[in-house]
Amino acid sequence: MKVLFKKYLVIILILLFLVAFSSSYNANYITKLAYVVAIGIDTSDKNTYSFSFQFTNATSPSESGNAEKSPSIVNTVEASSLSTAINLMNTYIGKRINLSHCKVIVISEDIAVNGITNQIYTLMNDTQVRPSTNIVVSKCTAKSYVENSKPILENLITKYYDVIASSSKFTGYTSNATLGNFINTLECSTCNPVAILGGLNSEKVENTSDLNHNEEDSTESNESTISGKRGSENIGLAVFKNDKLVGELNAIECLSYLNMNNEVEGFFITIPDPENNDEYLDLYLSPTKPVSVTLDIINDAPFIKVDANYTARIYSMKPDAKYLKNEVLKNISNSCNSFLESTFSNYLYKTSKDFKSDINGFGKYALSKFWTTNEFDKYNWNDNYENCFFDVQVNTNVESSILLTET
Amino acid sequence: MSNSKIGTVEAIFIILAIAISHSTLSLPRNLISQTKSGTIINIIFITIIAIVFSYLIFRLMKNFAGSDIVDIAEFVGGKTVKNIIGFIFIAHFMICSSMLLRNFCESLQLVYFQMTDIIFIILLFIIAMCICSSLSSNATFKANLIILPIALISIIIIFLANFKSFDPQKMFPILGDGIYNTFFVGLLNLVSFEGILALYFLPPYLKEPQKFKKIGIISMVATGFYLLLCVSIILFIFPAFTNINEVMPLYSAARYISFGTFLQRLEAFFMLIWIITFLSFICIACKFSVSIFQKITKAKDSKPLINVFGLLMLGISLLPKNLAYTTFFESKIYVYLTIALSFILGIGILIIANIKKRSENRNIIKSKSIQK
Repeated sequence: MKVLFKKYLVIILILLFLVAFSSSYNANYITKLAYVVAIGIDTSDKNTYSFSFQFTNATSPSESGNAEKSPSIVNTVEASSLSTAINLMNTYIGKRINLSHCKVIVISEDIAVNGITNQIYTLMNDTQVRPSTNIVVSKCTAKSYVENSKPILENLITKYYDVIASSSKFTGYTSNATLGNFINTLECSTCNPVAILGGLNSEKVENTSDLNHNEEDSTESNESTISGKRGSENIGLAVFKNDKLVGELNAIECLSYLNMNNEVEGFFITIPDPENNDEYLDLYLSPTKPVSVTLDIINDAPFIKVDANYTARIYSMKPDAKYLKNEVLKNISNSCNSFLESTFSNYLYKTSKDFKSDINGFGKYALSKFWTTNEFDKYNWNDNYENCFFDVQVNTNVESSILLTET
Repeated sequence: MSNSKIGTVEAIFIILAIAISHSTLSLPRNLISQTKSGTIINIIFITIIAIVFSYLIFRLMKNFAGSDIVDIAEFVGGKTVKNIIGFIFIAHFMICSSMLLRNFCESLQLVYFQMTDIIFIILLFIIAMCICSSLSSNATFKANLIILPIALISIIIIFLANFKSFDPQKMFPILGDGIYNTFFVGLLNLVSFEGILALYFLPPYLKEPQKFKKIGIISMVATGFYLLLCVSIILFIFPAFTNINEVMPLYSAARYISFGTFLQRLEAFFMLIWIITFLSFICIACKFSVSIFQKITKAKDSKPLINVFGLLMLGISLLPKNLAYTTFFESKIYVYLTIALSFILGIGILIIANIKKRSENRNIIKSKSIQK
């Protein structure tokens, strides 16, 4: 009798927990969910914000048996907050929106200038939103950025969003700025956040300026000469002071940012040819060791010394090139050093004097100069960063060209 | 009989289990909010204090081999004191473990089971605890021996996987909010060595009682290292968590882990490990509570008591209205309660017992010399 009672008890308990924890009880199963891959946030006339949701089609190419690109759908709604927008969109599509596969949050420049703390905290408060979600500040409207974000070389939009940010490692022209890093730097007393700078390419933007060869490095999203099937592009960085957008970094400045943070594995640069001032040389550089930063406080102003080391290979070739001669290689190294020193210095002074925003987090090197948190708080690093002065030293060792050594 | 006794490693893991299960909640952030960047130096300081206390406990319990604090309390003041001390410790184990369980379940509900009623989640733990505790006399301790190394590895993985964002400079300013805050106010961080409470109850369970000193010191050092690891994850890698009150800081840290595009969203795996670790912790609390109650009432069968204590735990954990109450309990009341019991009441009883024992010994020697 006792055994029978125990058996019944176990069965009842199993049934009870099956009901309590099963997905059907929660109404959270896949056919009732709509997966959002990107959210665009714009300002709106009628209401506070306009939210654009980019959905992925639930039928994947593998399921449908062909290799056609899976189309994405963009729906827009105006609402005072993200939760209200989700509710309205749920009503419209008849499914529950799920943000667990959201790859990108696009925020228009207009909103970013006024501060985005509320949006960032709200997103971090959502259990579905991942810290690895990329943050993009769009120079065009967030809606047109999302609408023009279409995969060209990939079948799925999610794959496309996966690869765009990771390209920063080998191009250095954008950064993998994520929601997690954004909130970490937003809350940090010694650093400030950045976001990917997004925009539309020349085919979509009519006012793109004509850029000559030498100005390629100073290009940024919405101003590049790229034309292609996809309208959106991600070049440069959006710089924040606390939660407000204060400026933009172009491609070469973004490269400088990544170098200071040791986040780039290798990159191309174009430097003046030391043998002929009218010509340019393309080099491929890779860091030999992490950038070393030392900080001293002299007369209450921070003095930051940056030391960077690279090896380089000459990529571009010309007639009568003698890249086996030590003297030639040394001259190229010197030219590269002075080019990088001036580029890095310009970038650092731009963040300090123009933006007054320590996006590289140099403030952490100042922490050891103080005994207590109160002393550091009184020093007010964020306000003192504009008084910084820098000494950048670059040591490049140009080893050779690649396959052709002399022509 | 030997089957009901536990080895040295099992004993050390019991003490560690208490700290580890608490650290999955907001313990690391609470430590940092108390002492800021001085937390690293504070943990080293309080680890030394905890080692001194564990040695003191060993020295004071040396004269009462094989007895726990309840037996010693009986020696001090007879049955009345024994009952009072016994019920105080039962109340502590039951209330604290129930409130921490509620806090853990609230977090679990927020993260994974938003549509499920909290009672079902708590009930799942209580039923599992009752089954595990009633299996055999040492099933709890043996299960703990298996799960704890996995829990330790999970924390090490979180640390290593996020190592690329590791900023050792964040340990400065080294004194945090100043010497007073780091070394005096920071003494409240001794709550993280709550496992010391288990030292008062372990002697009757030990296979090799002579290793009691070793158990105490090793477990305190291991807890210290573990806390350094947990605090490092928050302080050096995720500075945002020191300012923002995240529900489970270590879980949030686990959300940042991904190995390429192949292995992502590993936090669910970590959560599973921590659920079992937490279960192990409440089993230990139940085990000690039942054994104290058996000592007080001289009840022979522990199995019916396990279910009663399980229901009691369920009832207490359902008392708080919301997460705010349990968080307040964890960050404020629990701290003072644990420090008072572990470092003041326990040591106090042991000191009184030793004084009494010494005077008794003197009286015996005196009476012997008179007889001679």
